[in-house]
Amino acid sequence: MLRDRIEKYLLQIQKPSRYIGGEVGSIIKDKLKVDVRFAFCFPDTYDIGMSHIGMKILYSLTNKRENYWCERVFAPGEDFEAIMREHDIPLYALESLDPVRDFDFIGFTMQYELSYTNVLNMLDLAGIPIFAKDRTQELTQIVVAGGPCVCNPEPLADFFDLFILGEGEEVNLELMDLYHEMKKQGASRVEFLRAAAKIEGIYVPSFYHFSYKPDGTIESVTSADGAPETVRKRIIKDMDKVYYPENFVVPFTEIVQDRASVEVLRGCIRGCRFCQAGFIYRPFREKTPDTVCAETKALCENTGYDEVSLASLSTSDHSRIDEMLTKLLDYTEGERISLSLPSLRVDNFSESLLNKIKKVRKTGLTFAAEGGTQRLRDVINKNVTEEEIMRTCRIAFEGGYSSVKLYFMMGLPTETDEDIVGIAELAQRVVDLFYSIEDRPKGRGVQVSVSCATFVPKPFTPFEFEPQDTREVIEHKQKLLLDSVHSKKIKVSYHDPNVSILEVILAKGDRRLGKVIYTAWKKGCKFDSWSEHYKFDKWVEAFGECGVDMSFYANRRFEYDEILPWDHLDYLVSKEFFIRENKTAHQSKTTPNCRERCSGCGVNRKVGRECF
Amino acid sequence: MIRVRAVFEKTGRAKYISHLDLNRCMLRIFRRSKLPIWYTEGFHTHPYYSFALALSLGFESHCEILDFNLNDDDISLDYVCDTLNGVMPEGMRILSVAPQVKKITEIGCAEYTFSLVTERPDELSDKIGELLASEEILVEKKTKRGMKTVDIKPSLDVLGMEKSAGSVDMRLRLPAGTETNYNPSLFFEALGAFTDIPFTPERICRTGIYCKNGEVFS
Repeated sequence: MLRDRIEKYLLQIQKPSRYIGGEVGSIIKDKLKVDVRFAFCFPDTYDIGMSHIGMKILYSLTNKRENYWCERVFAPGEDFEAIMREHDIPLYALESLDPVRDFDFIGFTMQYELSYTNVLNMLDLAGIPIFAKDRTQELTQIVVAGGPCVCNPEPLADFFDLFILGEGEEVNLELMDLYHEMKKQGASRVEFLRAAAKIEGIYVPSFYHFSYKPDGTIESVTSADGAPETVRKRIIKDMDKVYYPENFVVPFTEIVQDRASVEVLRGCIRGCRFCQAGFIYRPFREKTPDTVCAETKALCENTGYDEVSLASLSTSDHSRIDEMLTKLLDYTEGERISLSLPSLRVDNFSESLLNKIKKVRKTGLTFAAEGGTQRLRDVINKNVTEEEIMRTCRIAFEGGYSSVKLYFMMGLPTETDEDIVGIAELAQRVVDLFYSIEDRPKGRGVQVSVSCATFVPKPFTPFEFEPQDTREVIEHKQKLLLDSVHSKKIKVSYHDPNVSILEVILAKGDRRLGKVIYTAWKKGCKFDSWSEHYKFDKWVEAFGECGVDMSFYANRRFEYDEILPWDHLDYLVSKEFFIRENKTAHQSKTTPNCRERCSGCGVNRKVGRECF
Repeated sequence: MIRVRAVFEKTGRAKYISHLDLNRCMLRIFRRSKLPIWYTEGFHTHPYYSFALALSLGFESHCEILDFNLNDDDISLDYVCDTLNGVMPEGMRILSVAPQVKKITEIGCAEYTFSLVTERPDELSDKIGELLASEEILVEKKTKRGMKTVDIKPSLDVLGMEKSAGSVDMRLRLPAGTETNYNPSLFFEALGAFTDIPFTPERICRTGIYCKNGEVFS
């Protein structure tokens, strides 16, 4: 039995409870009574993957169906992988401890570009052919992916049988139903894929052909085998009635987000032009306060968590936020549960809201200002003024906070040195503000942490056309920022530009990157998002050997009339809108949020109803 | 408020729950149970509970001790036991809940069973005999003040030893409690240093916790 072989080595590795399952809330079924088995794979370690809310939703939802069994699979850490390879232990699922290769579906959730090599590594550990074309003709081992990265799945097209675009709550079960039906009929793999391609939201990459112009840009994308020309993402129409788990798998070992987590809304009204999530999750839909409360209560009671956090892109944009928090705090305070509220925006951070949060616990405050000057914030449509930032910081300082974290991006379109110096100046004014307040927290100084990420243009945003700054420019800006900071109260940190370069290439790339990813993995690249594992030099080698020019994807402006690698995928927001927004950005003009005025992104037309 | 003591077992997959994780796990068990657990007073209020002895990662046990307080003096302890068992993870089971009789400081020793898996059980068994007959058994023990050499011979009590086809199975009593705590792994280390015969300790299980006077701790 595989379990005995696993247990033989478990005590030699770090945090063995990650590899043996048996957690409270994990679901065990009798496999003889199960018709379809789904291995839900997270291409990173247990500690990270177990924090992912989408996995929790789809895990519970699938397992609600008696004859379907969804199990969890994570990437093993380096120590355990070495043992697995040495002793021929194949990648296995945590519930049954059965090999992943025996499953009907092997589904990956693609949350970030730097996890792509982990997919290849996990397939390899599972003993499943890495390239889709090399897999069996029989109907089994269907390798699928969903999640935000599949809005441009082309770099991964060689490795997957199909992609699931949009929200999985309905389409996953439809796909499994189809599989179940066709399996009974004795259908082949390709027959199944042909039928699957007819389900809205399912994209089967092998039915699409790309041709390229001499200059390297895309000439055409054609579909075959009856697959639709464009594939539209799936959405849940009624957010308030969408399935939400009443229970989570409660890990033994501490994970990144070790708490109950309740989704309060999907989509975002803001339209910040750099933010992919703000566009690909449209339309904006929210749950009622009663639903959020009921879900919080069920989760806390079933898991035993004494901490709950509200998940969304911007919790304070909930139309009934005050009512919701009042109701929630009624429950959580009575039960000694602490409530945390990430994703609060500066501009509607009211005093009453702050007081409510303060009742719960006092941790640091984080503001995403993103740009150092008003002009630049207008370019990116981050509709936050300096006055608002200062007002919020004042409320926070007067309320006893003494540390503030400010998030910025570097390398934004139209950015000049002045904007970089502006970051340091803004941080300095926050420091000065602190010392100007009479009843500031006594006894300790202020701490302003400036965290600077490198801008990565992403598909399905108004900045999808934009080039990324070259490394030389980014390094110049980083140095300039450091030189502009004159206070010890300000701490600056920034990202490794080499990471951002790979991110943009994988985000905006096309099918020609498949062989680069494969080559990089062969050279030992995996866990690219972990700085201690990231091997940029190996990636550069892989690009070189495959004859793929990095700057073609990273530093080239994609033209408005160019066929983009993701143009045949429909995420409801129109390309015309993105072009319009891109032009508006270059005029340093803002666009109001969706609740103030519809800016015509096209979602309402396609969904067939107004958003508000 | 009543002070109670639960005896629980930790077997199967639960043996991979580390002591630190067990603490967190127990907190969630209490919360799921909705039992009237007594909370500490003070700034960071939390349910009060403690484990008598830590159990090494990978060891099973049939006799772990968990002390906690209940706000309801009239609650049925059988009900407490059943309720907790309804929300326990796989491999963890409460065997009994009873009022605390003895003080934690009365704990004197613990009993363990284990198998030393080897291809040469006859030779290994002879070597164990030799080791146990020697005048002293010195091992390096990690203490709060760094590494220290200790002689485990005087406090090592072998209660049973049997040879089987692929292993030597032993029952051992070792000091435990607030003063001296010897883990069976000290014995494995001593044996490993004493002989070249390869062996792997498996199925290590704590089977009993006793008072200094030899009574079962309860």
